[in-house]
Amino acid sequence: MKIRKEDIIRIEDFLWEIPQAFNSRMRVPARVLASEELLEAIMEDRSLVQLVNVASLPGIQMASLVMPDVHEGYGFPIGGVAATEFPGGVISPGGIGYDINCGVRLLTSSQKISNIKDKLEMLSQELNKEIPSGMGKGGTIHLEPEDLDEVLRKGAAWAVEQGYGELEDLAYTESNGCLEEADPALVSDMAKKRGADQLGTIGSGNHFVEVDYIEEIFDQDAAKALGLSDGQVVILIHTGSRGLGHQVATDYIREIMKTMPGYGIQVPDRELACVPFNSEVGKDYFKAMCASANYAWCNRQIVSWEARTAWKNIFGKEAALKLMYDVAHNIAKVESHRVNGSLIKVIVHRKGATRAFGPGFEELPEKYKFVGQPVIIPGSMGTCSYVMVGTDKSSELTFGSCCHGAGRRLSRTAAKKLVNAPVLKQKLREKGIYVEAGSFKGIAEEAPIAYKDVNQVVGTVCASGVAKKVAKLRPVAVIKG
Amino acid sequence: MKIKYLPHTADIRMKIEGSSFKEILAAGVLGMANILKDGACNSKGIMNLKVEVAIEAADKTCLMIDLLSDVLSHSYTSKGIFCEIYFNELSDNNAIAVVQGYRTNGFDEEIKAVTYHEAQVVMNKDNRWETIIIFDI
Repeated sequence: MKIRKEDIIRIEDFLWEIPQAFNSRMRVPARVLASEELLEAIMEDRSLVQLVNVASLPGIQMASLVMPDVHEGYGFPIGGVAATEFPGGVISPGGIGYDINCGVRLLTSSQKISNIKDKLEMLSQELNKEIPSGMGKGGTIHLEPEDLDEVLRKGAAWAVEQGYGELEDLAYTESNGCLEEADPALVSDMAKKRGADQLGTIGSGNHFVEVDYIEEIFDQDAAKALGLSDGQVVILIHTGSRGLGHQVATDYIREIMKTMPGYGIQVPDRELACVPFNSEVGKDYFKAMCASANYAWCNRQIVSWEARTAWKNIFGKEAALKLMYDVAHNIAKVESHRVNGSLIKVIVHRKGATRAFGPGFEELPEKYKFVGQPVIIPGSMGTCSYVMVGTDKSSELTFGSCCHGAGRRLSRTAAKKLVNAPVLKQKLREKGIYVEAGSFKGIAEEAPIAYKDVNQVVGTVCASGVAKKVAKLRPVAVIKG
Repeated sequence: MKIKYLPHTADIRMKIEGSSFKEILAAGVLGMANILKDGACNSKGIMNLKVEVAIEAADKTCLMIDLLSDVLSHSYTSKGIFCEIYFNELSDNNAIAVVQGYRTNGFDEEIKAVTYHEAQVVMNKDNRWETIIIFDI
């Protein structure tokens, strides 16, 4: 399948459509949220072919969608949203991804960057010491099977009960850090074995802990509500459900591929394997996915505790880091959205996309209700990141979703060929950014050149109206696996 | 056997080729070991880690992916690299095998999953078996 520019029509300034008529398998159109320049870059890999394939899923509603940070994935594109009819439409583990509830959270401090510049190197070393990272590495917490089941049931609340955080943290976490449908009995022994020693670890790849400061405020009222101010030092954490989530996805994709033909479903790519949400295996997967999502929220809560420990070690016992918000960007949720004028329940698959609900959303903490749900967009190492808030328009256009990062543009191999990691590390140091990484390979693969321009990506989602910029963050220390 | 790593925007695309189905399965195990730790199987050290894997699948392609997924899971739980595979039974949709390797202190790369995307075990025009495998990184 080849998609040419002539196959795509502009339906709004920043919204493009591949009509349903483009391919006989499509049940709905495929839509791209992007500027023209970004659209042309997106056309360079197989993202749009994958988007068209997603439009063929049984029960899909309105359109398959991608955000401006989209890039080619394996089956579903990364940076995509697909909402299917509830409860008879399909659920597809590939539409969530292997790293279930990969997400980001932002911790805020009372320190200004100008006051702590001389302590940044020490802080980055302390964070690196306190937060286990790296390939397949375990953490310091080793869970007994009954404790792991409690983590899978309770999510971030388990960590708070054990002293790894404050009760208030839960109110500032998407879904309060727990999906109640979770059932630990539906998570395999292998997945539990992989998860037993990985709580409080960030892993590798594009996962990180980063110290930033607020470089620019775009919306003073929203920033004030979110507790953000000019020059303030903040900490960004990006990680997910680690080996446990990877194994749950692997187990259920295998199972679903076996049972899918029994429902008469055929998909153009095996990684789109899916079953009706209300089938036995569909329900089992959803409950196991919820358990994995809970593990991820618990993981980010414990990583926060490790970051808080490092912070106190440098700035004293009274120094605190508050949780601004925690958002998932690989997850499926049952939500209500307006489709063709009617409010209906749908199963929203977000794979590399962030929930971006507007003001008034009842789950939000009281202080945030008038500004909308915080959306945290990490950029690439050495560039910048953003805090935004969702809008009502996101519900109309994108099932309440927006982008999740800058989006890769170069393969890891290409990045390694182009980037001299020791030189990059030194250059970042000269720009005032300390990098603590497990390997030079990791630095090269995650170099800024490997990513799209986050300013352009964020500019596009804001211009389209699905989110509003609140603050721009500039990194000063990066801890990578 | 031949193992080649090809470009992919975010993940790793590996092409493997072999004179038999058994040989590309072995190539898959070796190619994955080299992603986890570059050159991990170059020198024949003490292969003191052995795990049995038993897979039933719909076809050759699923068998390949499911087998590699199981080997990957064992790599993480036993903190080891598996370099070789010996089959006790092998058909188009069934394999009972022993993978052999050694324990390691860490990996160079964390593979999240072995995906079915683009995988298609086929005989090519040179009468050799081949497939692409995409690893989620």
